[in-house]
Amino acid sequence: MKRYVLFGLAIVGIVSLVGGIWWLLAHPAEGGYGPSFFISTSIFLLVFAAISLRWMHETAAALLGAAAVWLVHYIGGTFFPALHIIDFEESMTFVDWNVIWLIMGMMIFMAMFSETGAINWVAFRTFRMAKGNAWLLMMSLVILTAVLSAFLNDVTAILLLVPLSIEIAQTVGIHPFAFVIPEVLASNIGGAATIIGDPPSTIVGSHLGLSFVEYLVNMAPIAILCMVPFLVIIGFLYRRELAGAKEQFSPALIARLEADALITDVPLLRKAGLVGLLMMILFFTGDYFGGIPPSVVALSGAAILVAWVRPDMHRMLREVDWTTLIFFISIFVVVGGLQATGVIYWIAGKIGDLAGEMLKTATVLMVWIPGVASAIVANIPFTVASLPIADFLTSTIPGAENMVLYWALILGADLGGNATILGSAPNIVAVGLLGQAGYRLGFGRFMRDGVPVTIATLLLATVWLLVRY
Amino acid sequence: MGMILCATRGGEASYPTQDAVIALAKEQGDELVFLYVVDISFLNHTAAPLVVDVESRLEKLGQFQLVMAQERAAAQDIIAQTIVRKGHLRDELVSVAKEIGATLIVMGHSLGPDAAFEDLALQVFAADLKTKTGVEVRILEKSD
Repeated sequence: MKRYVLFGLAIVGIVSLVGGIWWLLAHPAEGGYGPSFFISTSIFLLVFAAISLRWMHETAAALLGAAAVWLVHYIGGTFFPALHIIDFEESMTFVDWNVIWLIMGMMIFMAMFSETGAINWVAFRTFRMAKGNAWLLMMSLVILTAVLSAFLNDVTAILLLVPLSIEIAQTVGIHPFAFVIPEVLASNIGGAATIIGDPPSTIVGSHLGLSFVEYLVNMAPIAILCMVPFLVIIGFLYRRELAGAKEQFSPALIARLEADALITDVPLLRKAGLVGLLMMILFFTGDYFGGIPPSVVALSGAAILVAWVRPDMHRMLREVDWTTLIFFISIFVVVGGLQATGVIYWIAGKIGDLAGEMLKTATVLMVWIPGVASAIVANIPFTVASLPIADFLTSTIPGAENMVLYWALILGADLGGNATILGSAPNIVAVGLLGQAGYRLGFGRFMRDGVPVTIATLLLATVWLLVRY
Repeated sequence: MGMILCATRGGEASYPTQDAVIALAKEQGDELVFLYVVDISFLNHTAAPLVVDVESRLEKLGQFQLVMAQERAAAQDIIAQTIVRKGHLRDELVSVAKEIGATLIVMGHSLGPDAAFEDLALQVFAADLKTKTGVEVRILEKSD
């Protein structure tokens, strides 16, 4: 009996809810925020939650969100005009194709370059040169990771370096966390230095139409500066681990390590090295050539390398991670829905009210809000959604034309990603790689290192922004 | 002479199991095979650009972990064989056990925060393995 009553109540509840929504849609409030405002917000929040809580693959969540935006617009909008969010053509204008092409070009180049084994060779040479000095070894690996993250990208640097770093740590008798966690933190700091290093850097840099050098001169100095407190903190946190390193190493392990760090394709390395050098020259001289966008440089480099190396194109295209590109396109569409329905401008208005016309307050907010948010939720959708807010504040706050709010957003999103495992993709990938060697890196253990580094680097970034801009 | 199969990932949490299975092989005069399984399903949630051949790189990491296990065995005068496979642990354990004609599959008891299984999950996993392979599955106790 009780079951039937509950079932009846559930039916009445569902009918009331559907009827209520139906009535609201049929009688939209004039001048207020319509149903599309709330539905586009709900879609974004659901996508955000699905990504941050890892309910499903990031790409699946974003794609589902984009599909939801269009379905609500076309099907819902047919019956209730108040449900119009954004049509397909308009949503495509919100996609930053420069970001998509840049990521694709770099992926093609990296896929071929990573097959040379050069990075592992460099890491092994670093191990040899350190001659058993654990401090020197850790610092060298960390700096190598930061540099690679800046010029390849942070996830690639972690995928290439972490497995070998685990082996090196085991060889010298140190817990792998002592090398891997600092490498992950360094990848997020190093990734902020260039427009190709980290997704938030690419998204914001591309949105502003910055050349490689324009971005570099503004962000590289603070990224390098942030390495100082970072190295001090990790040196302090791992002082005991490093002091306990072995002095004699197993010959079998050294032999295995050396075998894992061989250059596997010398001709490919020569070609990829030359093309990489050409890309760097074009990145640095892009302003001279009519402000050639970084995406054009990356794609050109990839095209030249493909034509020169002549890899199996089907295999080559399989190696391009299409999920990443679909993820970015879908996120741009979902955020486009927020912009089209006025959600972003409503939020921007609220932040504008909070900051008033004070640039310094707005700068601090633009560092710390993304900084804290990036520690908890996925930083890519957050950055995409924050960009129109930075646009709005830059156009309304006197003195913000120097783009300080955009730099603040990049630093907040990049450096904030160091606080927790969920903060950025390199963190999640490193946790998986460690798990494969039998080391479970938990949330709290990561935060022990990540939180102090995040606070120190965000503080330094805030001071630097306030002083320089 | 029997054939003992032991799956291992490396890391401190696996050392007690490795030592115990090495001692068991020595005591029984059995052959010993360490298995490492590369499983990249942890990448299934991220949309980061994964252009590196992660499986091949982790295969090398696995070989390194098994060299460490072999060294522990050699220190006890046992020559251990090693196998690296790609896929899911359960499927590969079943497949390798059948291929090498294992007479005993040894699994370690949960030890510390790095342990792969909770106690109950380990019991269920072991029972399932036994059903699928027909081979005795022994879970080493913490005191072993």
